[in-house]
Amino acid sequence: MEVTLIDSPVANVANIARALRHAGAGLRVTRDAETIANAGKIVLPGVGSFIAAMTWLREQRIDEALKRAVSRGAALLGVCVGHQLLFDASHEMGLTSGLGFLRGEVQRLVGPLPVPQIGWNALTVGRSPLFEGIADRTPFYFVNSYAALEAPDEIARADYGGAFTAAVQCGTIFGVQFHPEKSSAAGLRLLRNFVQWT
Amino acid sequence: MDVIPSIDVLQGNAVRLTRGDFMLVTKYGEPEEVLDRLEVEDGARLHVVDLEASRSGRPVETEIVRKLARRNLRLQVGGGVRSLRDARTWLDAGAERIVVGTAAAESPRFLERLVDAFGADRIIPAVDVRDGVVRVDGWQRAASESLASILARLDNVNEVLVTDVNKDGAMRGPSFALYRQLRAMTGVRIIASGGVSTLGDIVSLARLGNISGCVIGKALLDKKLTLADATARVRTPSAIPERVIPCLDVRDGRVVKGVSFANLRDSGDPVECAMRYEAEGADELVILDVSATDEGRRTALETVRGVADSIFIPLTVGGGVKSVGDFRALLRAGADRVAINTAAIANPQLIAECAREFGVQAVVLSVDAARASGERRAASGFEAIVRSGKHPTGIDVVEWCKRAEMLGAGEILLTSIERDGTSDGFDIELLRAVSGSVRIGVIASGGAGTLEHFRDAIEAGGARAVLAASLFHTRRLSIGEVKEFLAAEGIPVR
Repeated sequence: MEVTLIDSPVANVANIARALRHAGAGLRVTRDAETIANAGKIVLPGVGSFIAAMTWLREQRIDEALKRAVSRGAALLGVCVGHQLLFDASHEMGLTSGLGFLRGEVQRLVGPLPVPQIGWNALTVGRSPLFEGIADRTPFYFVNSYAALEAPDEIARADYGGAFTAAVQCGTIFGVQFHPEKSSAAGLRLLRNFVQWT
Repeated sequence: MDVIPSIDVLQGNAVRLTRGDFMLVTKYGEPEEVLDRLEVEDGARLHVVDLEASRSGRPVETEIVRKLARRNLRLQVGGGVRSLRDARTWLDAGAERIVVGTAAAESPRFLERLVDAFGADRIIPAVDVRDGVVRVDGWQRAASESLASILARLDNVNEVLVTDVNKDGAMRGPSFALYRQLRAMTGVRIIASGGVSTLGDIVSLARLGNISGCVIGKALLDKKLTLADATARVRTPSAIPERVIPCLDVRDGRVVKGVSFANLRDSGDPVECAMRYEAEGADELVILDVSATDEGRRTALETVRGVADSIFIPLTVGGGVKSVGDFRALLRAGADRVAINTAAIANPQLIAECAREFGVQAVVLSVDAARASGERRAASGFEAIVRSGKHPTGIDVVEWCKRAEMLGAGEILLTSIERDGTSDGFDIELLRAVSGSVRIGVIASGGAGTLEHFRDAIEAGGARAVLAASLFHTRRLSIGEVKEFLAAEGIPVR
């Protein structure tokens, strides 16, 4: 199955590329807006700050390309900050608009635990093709200071001093706050589920 | 589990006695002021000990208890309860429960009468234990019965308060071994008391499963902990797995430490080792480059690339990182996080620069620690050692870790130089000193030899991850065995 991986400079693209290939994807790594607009299955990675990632998408007109792709019915998977970009907005460094594919805002994690969260955390998993074959309470690897809280399209949640949305699905749009490419067998299974989803 | 702040009262003051000695008194002011300072919540449990009463054998500070009772607190009061009348005095003064000491161990009939008169939920028998033996009369003599037989007849109450006398006020951590032993002895829920001084202690007590409350005195009064943090941590769901991390010490592209060459499958090839460890359930992998030459370090980059290409768990790499450029090169080669050690001691701003450039999550401070000796003074008792040349720096490990956290380190990889390679166990005191002073996670390193060592590093040491090298390379223990053992001990693992 062919997957188009957005070659974001604010992401560790090599790691996720490797994991996607391992999960059976025929991979095209690109930052060309036209290619992305016409793709059938897209992965949007991201690390670092929301605003840097969003600014880059706008400069490259990839935000528009993604909207066109999604309106054509393309499947999209956002990973970490790529997942956060799918929402209306983020409160990281003031309020910044996101792609607006999903309702909800991204907020800073609060509570007694150190932020950023760095490490494994177990998910409470709902029904979604993304979690096919993945048991409830399976841990995934997270690195984040921000997350969507109680997103309407939530398909998995986790607790880090308080509940937050760990994964979302709305039609053909998927997002995961964790790093499947660093989550060993469970992460590879999730990526394979996305790669094979029709 | 309830977090129960505790104040001992003597002559109208909140005080602490060190190891029960009336000559070693620290005063903290009037009890009500102390409660305000501690920010005790409405409806919270509060443990009050009337020290004069425990010495004289009759209630003394009833007026103070009456005042405290007006505050909507759930008071449990101890000291000198020798008769039903004493008990009634405390209950009338506003105590919700009374704590009964010596009588619990020595007068089963009296205890029964208390339970009959006031109800099982208003009586908390208290047992003081030293070296496995119950102590009575202000710890002065051993009880006639064994701990097991005393507990066996205390099954008609809801909770028993158990204090490890050696640990009380010493802030060296509670006696997890004792409470684990109690879990096997009795189904009665235990209020743990003595030595609780870090958030990690509270988490670890809660994990034991048989602890209904933990009494915290000195650590709150001395501001080692805040009640708000302690309470929040107990209420926070804590299914976050602790991590087991194998470490590959690599020189010139080969794993060098403790690899069993007798076993041909252990070829010393880092990629092979890494893949085996991921399959065994490693939560993360650490590669430490111990090459001495520039060429060796170039080879190390190749090794990192090769390993990063072969595993799907987080990879931390350290060794010889001197600059932001070195840091970046390792991230580009596929590391998720980079550990800096010697260069950060020479230039602490390197931590801040790397955190700004790559994010806090990418920065691991690696600290090699040794017990400070002779004239060198480090307040914590531990100083940082620069490993290349085994050069003591005189830098206090705890102060250094606190500073690194402020500068932007995301986690601390803490190695005990004295324990490294010994299999004698992690240095729990070192781990406690650091994990109790920073909010970021501590990875315990140096000394792993048995399954219990891993548990103790997390439970008593407060480590959020445990690391070992040769123990895993030689297959004396597998990662799977360690994780199974930790899970059986109530510590969440992946």
